[in-house]
Amino acid sequence: MRAASLEFGRRADTADHCRHCGEPCGFGDGAFCCTGCAAVFAILAAHDLDGFYACDVPPGLSQKQTADRDRARFAALDDPDVAARLIVHDDGRRARAAFNVPAIHCASCVWLLERLWRLDPGVSGTEVDLLRRTVTVDYQPAATTLRTIAEHLASLGYEPAITSEECRSGPRAARRRLYLQLGVAGFAFGNMMLFSIPRYANGAPLDPEFQRLFDGLNLLFALPVLLFSASDYFRNAWSACRTRAMTLDVPIAMGLLALFGRSVADIAAARGEGFLDSFAGLVFFLLIARLFQQRMFERIAFDRTYRSFLPLTVRVEREDGLTPVPLEHVRGGDVVVVRPHEIVPADAVLLDARGAVDYAFVTGEATPVAVGGGDRVRAGGRAAGSAMRLRVLRDVSHSDLARLWQNPVFSRPKRRWLADVNARFGAWFTGAAVALAAAGALAWWPDASAAASVATAVLIVACPCALTMSAPMALGTAAGLLGRAGLFLKDPAVTLDLSRIDTVAFDKTGTLTSAETRPLLETSPLPDDAWTLVRRLASASAHPASRAIAAAITDTKMDREGERATAVFEVVGQGVCGTVCGTRVAIGTADFIQAQTGAVPFGPEDATFVAAGDATGWVRIRPAARPGIEGAAARLSEALDLVLLSGDHHGDGARWRRVFGPRMRFRQSPDDKLAFVRGARDSGRHVLMVGDGLNDAGALAAADVGMAVSDETACMTPACDAVIDGRRLASLPAFLSYARRAREVVILCFAVSILYNAIGLTLALSGALTPLAAAVLMPVSSLTIVGISSGAMRWSARRMLPA
Amino acid sequence: MSVIVLLIAAGGTVAAGFLGAFAWAVRSGQYDDTCTPAIRVLLDERPHARPHEGTTDADPDR
Repeated sequence: MRAASLEFGRRADTADHCRHCGEPCGFGDGAFCCTGCAAVFAILAAHDLDGFYACDVPPGLSQKQTADRDRARFAALDDPDVAARLIVHDDGRRARAAFNVPAIHCASCVWLLERLWRLDPGVSGTEVDLLRRTVTVDYQPAATTLRTIAEHLASLGYEPAITSEECRSGPRAARRRLYLQLGVAGFAFGNMMLFSIPRYANGAPLDPEFQRLFDGLNLLFALPVLLFSASDYFRNAWSACRTRAMTLDVPIAMGLLALFGRSVADIAAARGEGFLDSFAGLVFFLLIARLFQQRMFERIAFDRTYRSFLPLTVRVEREDGLTPVPLEHVRGGDVVVVRPHEIVPADAVLLDARGAVDYAFVTGEATPVAVGGGDRVRAGGRAAGSAMRLRVLRDVSHSDLARLWQNPVFSRPKRRWLADVNARFGAWFTGAAVALAAAGALAWWPDASAAASVATAVLIVACPCALTMSAPMALGTAAGLLGRAGLFLKDPAVTLDLSRIDTVAFDKTGTLTSAETRPLLETSPLPDDAWTLVRRLASASAHPASRAIAAAITDTKMDREGERATAVFEVVGQGVCGTVCGTRVAIGTADFIQAQTGAVPFGPEDATFVAAGDATGWVRIRPAARPGIEGAAARLSEALDLVLLSGDHHGDGARWRRVFGPRMRFRQSPDDKLAFVRGARDSGRHVLMVGDGLNDAGALAAADVGMAVSDETACMTPACDAVIDGRRLASLPAFLSYARRAREVVILCFAVSILYNAIGLTLALSGALTPLAAAVLMPVSSLTIVGISSGAMRWSARRMLPA
Repeated sequence: MSVIVLLIAAGGTVAAGFLGAFAWAVRSGQYDDTCTPAIRVLLDERPHARPHEGTTDADPDR
């Protein structure tokens, strides 16, 4: 993938856009959108790193979310057990550690992060991997610590994602091995062609002395191909035979063995030069197809459990004060402190009198829930409003959140349709090849040598090389192009599963709606000057609802100048109250308004009430739908069944009725969602689940394809088969039709390769399969498949996928 | 004949040398990241070695 595709379409710099991130700003002197961006800019300027801003769009990411993060959040890295997860190598004098940094997205990030040593003299060098979004840091443990490095990264706006989950070493070793296998096969193939062409060009057998030399050399080059490059095919075929699931690897292994055995026999008996050049070429082309299959989106973690979402350390009250403790060591009975915007790590009981918890991520409920002293708070909730003291009820692994992961859908690997097709085709193909070889041998009987040569020739041409290449090439190309358009697949085979989806289930909060788009505000009638007072109070509060009110009213009825609210106080879970221009103003629950101002507000049950003096009114905040999503859903519903599975209450059901009709389910627990998807699959449907939160994790795992929605910086997606960029969700209909096109291309390639096999078989059965014919037929068929599959997929991508 | 044997031996040695170089490149991680180096060459100064220090910090396997 090109770097340009990682660059998201942001607006170029203009006067009222942030100098760091390019978003519209309303903070300070108008140069920055938030204090976070201004802080990063100041650090860069102080260290002579403002070359970061040299490119045409401001390269930074907005730091609005980072303002209230805990400064001590990397304290866990002082713990050797936690640090060991990041450290690649440490000899005491020099060390190397790898951080996963989801915010890496462009060339400027590479430039900046590879100059980290300007901030920290203990760092001797950094290396960024843009695709995998990792930063490898070389440092001297004597001069700096892992924690300091993590804090430096975070101070630049590149928050390292350090989760409680063990990091796996990744497929690096397997990729290197594949490259080596490919190199050996290509080397052998090229050299063997040099030794074979004289024979083909001569038209008649060469001088026996030369022929022996060339045959010997060919054999020498073919051995590493057989033993090293092709070894995976033999291993796969052997395990397929043992489990009696005949994949296409079986006829491939048969064909390769027949090619090699027949060639050795021919050379030994001085009957001819054998097919060793075709053998090496075949392995070479097969490995190229494998390379396509392996080129994955490694920067996206597809297999996450709930642990990725929990904090790395928890502040636990011990005798000597508040200590950061790694998550694993938190036990039932511990008293922990969770600060605002932090995640509650385990099921716990609230020790404070009041608190508010935002379960949006766990249940899909959009509005925070007020809790009182002694109430249970579930793991995965986010502290809203103020810090909370909690007593942990039980270990992290026994929380309600963890229970969902005990469902067998999480432990069973998902069976891909391609694997089914492959197995069915493989069995059929193996049977046909063996039967034809036997029939050919019988026909030439009793001439034993002719019979053997016909039988091996049949096995050679029946080797479904082109057929095996069809699916990886077409689907691999399709997956790469889909990734460029914003849909990242865990495995190219997912494309095939996408092509036969007939039911799409959507989550609502965070999927159809987005926290990033400005919320819609419904308001009751109230005089403009009353709204002005309400807005001034709202702008003095940091609560999300207040912020939404302040932002929404600015547009319509607000002057920017004016007296600020005084005597402001906020009661968590209830509301905020203060005095503006001598008038008492309150925003909050009906009870709160009544207690503070004496006014009795009335309005819808789920509204937030406001009062300015005697005037009362209400506002209702609705997260806005992602742009274009309603049109996209309407287009999808023409051909597919759409279902809405929301953890939220009935609230804004009316808005979605137009698209989903009666097929809407609200107040769905994670288990309900899982059960719905499972039920639909059991009744023969092919389900695509689109969701974003932990509450969708079960449904994502149970669906044919689980697609997680991810917004630019939030890389925390639950386990899934595909990750879609939130801004591209409206292109889902195009992605699905592109997947169907990929399936058509695979079928076309299958047809073409069967045609080649048929031509080869006629030659083989008539005893006319010469080494020259094989040497021509094999690369031609492979190259046709490569051309058709990647050409057709690229051409369709240009017409069907969004740019 | 002997000339051809000589040529084949020489050609084979050169080719094997390239294969060895390829194997070394793969093993030293040069194929692990095929995207970032293309960007890195376009950036101005060399980021790894610090100007005022020698190459003693350079990692042996890089």
